[in-house]
Amino acid sequence: MRISDRRFATFLMAPAALFLAIFVAYPLFRLVADSFFKISPIAGGPRDFVGLDNYFRAFASEAFMGAGWRTLAYTLVVVTLEFALGLGMALLFTMLGRNSQIWRTVFLYPLMIAPIVAGLLWKFLMIDNFGLIGTLMHQAGLLANPNQIGWLSDPNIVLFSVAIPDIWLTTSFMCLVLFAGLQNIPGDLIEAARLDGARAPAMLFRIILPLLRPVIAVALVVRGIDAARAFDTILIQTNGGPQSASETMSLLIYRTMIRFGDPGLASAMGTIYLLAMLAVAFFAVSTIWRPGKDN
Amino acid sequence: MSLADPRLHGPAVTETTMPTSTMTSAPKTRASNGNGTRRRRHHAEGLEAGKRSTRTLLWILLAAAMIFYGFPFLYLLFTSFKTPIDTIAVPPTILPREWTLENYTNALGRSGVLASFINSAQTAIISTVLSLVLAVPAAYGITRYKTPSGRVFIMAALVTRMVPPVAIGIPLASMMSAAGLADTPIALSIAHTTISLPLSIWLMSSFFEAVPKDLEEAATVDGCSRLGALWRVVIPVVSGGIAVTAIFAFLASWNEFLFALLMTAVRSQTTPVVIANFQTQFGLDWGSMTALAAVYSIPVILLTLLLQRKIVAGMTLGAVKG
Repeated sequence: MRISDRRFATFLMAPAALFLAIFVAYPLFRLVADSFFKISPIAGGPRDFVGLDNYFRAFASEAFMGAGWRTLAYTLVVVTLEFALGLGMALLFTMLGRNSQIWRTVFLYPLMIAPIVAGLLWKFLMIDNFGLIGTLMHQAGLLANPNQIGWLSDPNIVLFSVAIPDIWLTTSFMCLVLFAGLQNIPGDLIEAARLDGARAPAMLFRIILPLLRPVIAVALVVRGIDAARAFDTILIQTNGGPQSASETMSLLIYRTMIRFGDPGLASAMGTIYLLAMLAVAFFAVSTIWRPGKDN
Repeated sequence: MSLADPRLHGPAVTETTMPTSTMTSAPKTRASNGNGTRRRRHHAEGLEAGKRSTRTLLWILLAAAMIFYGFPFLYLLFTSFKTPIDTIAVPPTILPREWTLENYTNALGRSGVLASFINSAQTAIISTVLSLVLAVPAAYGITRYKTPSGRVFIMAALVTRMVPPVAIGIPLASMMSAAGLADTPIALSIAHTTISLPLSIWLMSSFFEAVPKDLEEAATVDGCSRLGALWRVVIPVVSGGIAVTAIFAFLASWNEFLFALLMTAVRSQTTPVVIANFQTQFGLDWGSMTALAAVYSIPVILLTLLLQRKIVAGMTLGAVKG
């Protein structure tokens, strides 16, 4: 007997849906449930229901609020710089046309590198004493002393320094998304604007960027979500230090859970973090992306 | 193909590791390639710079950008060939004073390093297969039948992407130990599949979207069952797309660190965790760290660039034929 199309579709989707329910939805449920308990870090230890106490503790803690602001600042720095550089590269490749194709491929290589390796190699470039960047800047006459800038040891700039590997890793992604978008702008439109005497800035801000808006929106939302979850690159570079100056939300939750052995508090922090991400993402999607709506 | 169409850009950009060819080719498999290429060529005249002086300037800019983006990894490579004492010389030099393989023999000779490579490969392969087996039918069900539950499902998959791994890592790890799977490649590959499955569903949906419906209708008229039509007619058409999806699922697992850190101890430790551990366990052994990082990165860089060419070639061939 032939089953209906609708049933057949459900049958095809069921295994994946079941997998996500068991391995994503259920752990999330456990996370939220744990956030209402005071849990001893020892396996099999006591579990006491404490209501919203963990949430009060989270909001009252300076570490949590600090990590929240740092995560926001980190995300803005990463996404802004990446977007500017990615757009520049995409325009460069488009303006050079076909001849640049091989370089376009080569430019993708950072995307294949593990974030942990990227964090490691930038740490090696920026580390005090034998970091190459300070030395090169010194040799170029930009710095009086190779150690003048403590990239990873100065609390005032460390949040910016730890963002560099993330920017370096994923500029290529921004570039290729924007490049693909640029390929879809009809050539006639550019020609027409040129005949009308549009200069480069007008062309960019009046024609190219408005046409790319949907692509830009998707790229920013996707990268924003990723940057807000950054963990590997920061952990290997500074482990959140010095003085927690580079401790973002993922690191704080990880340390609260593992190092400080407070799973209840960590779960409350994780729940707040998740809700904040969902709220921001839905806001972003509904205001700037608007899937399914035409211009 | 309107720019606002989320199908065009939405699925393909849901992951940070995405080569150009996929972006431009994802929504156009063989079936719809003809006028896409023509339009692209036409457009190239639009923004392409014509003046010789402008082009020279652009090439200089490109060279500068390439050096900036290429140098960090080259420096890692150079460092891996320095003598251990040279790696922490003050002031540092770019090229090794003396080229040696010492760091490589040191790093690879350490106990657990070779095993970690096997673990990484094993985990990534299991996770890739799992992702594809679950994502291919699901994406087909979503795109071909467009049921309300399908729409809900693909939105749910998108939301899954926003979940911070640190939030589900601990409950997931305790579930795995309860199931007796603690510290096994299976457990880790399941965790990695939670990352790659939503992405794979989005990618495969965009590939299926490009397959004309007549194709399997013709097959069902010829007496194929729906499942038979999917397997024998549709799957071969989207095989390029499946390969692309497989690459991303593999890379997502190969490069993943946080789940590996939370869920593995000794037996199933993957190389990213070993690289990170070099830092604490043995002091700052930069030489070995850079050597291991190079050995871990180069195969995937080469493999992806190699396969990428193949994918591009396949697409171009399809365009010529179709």
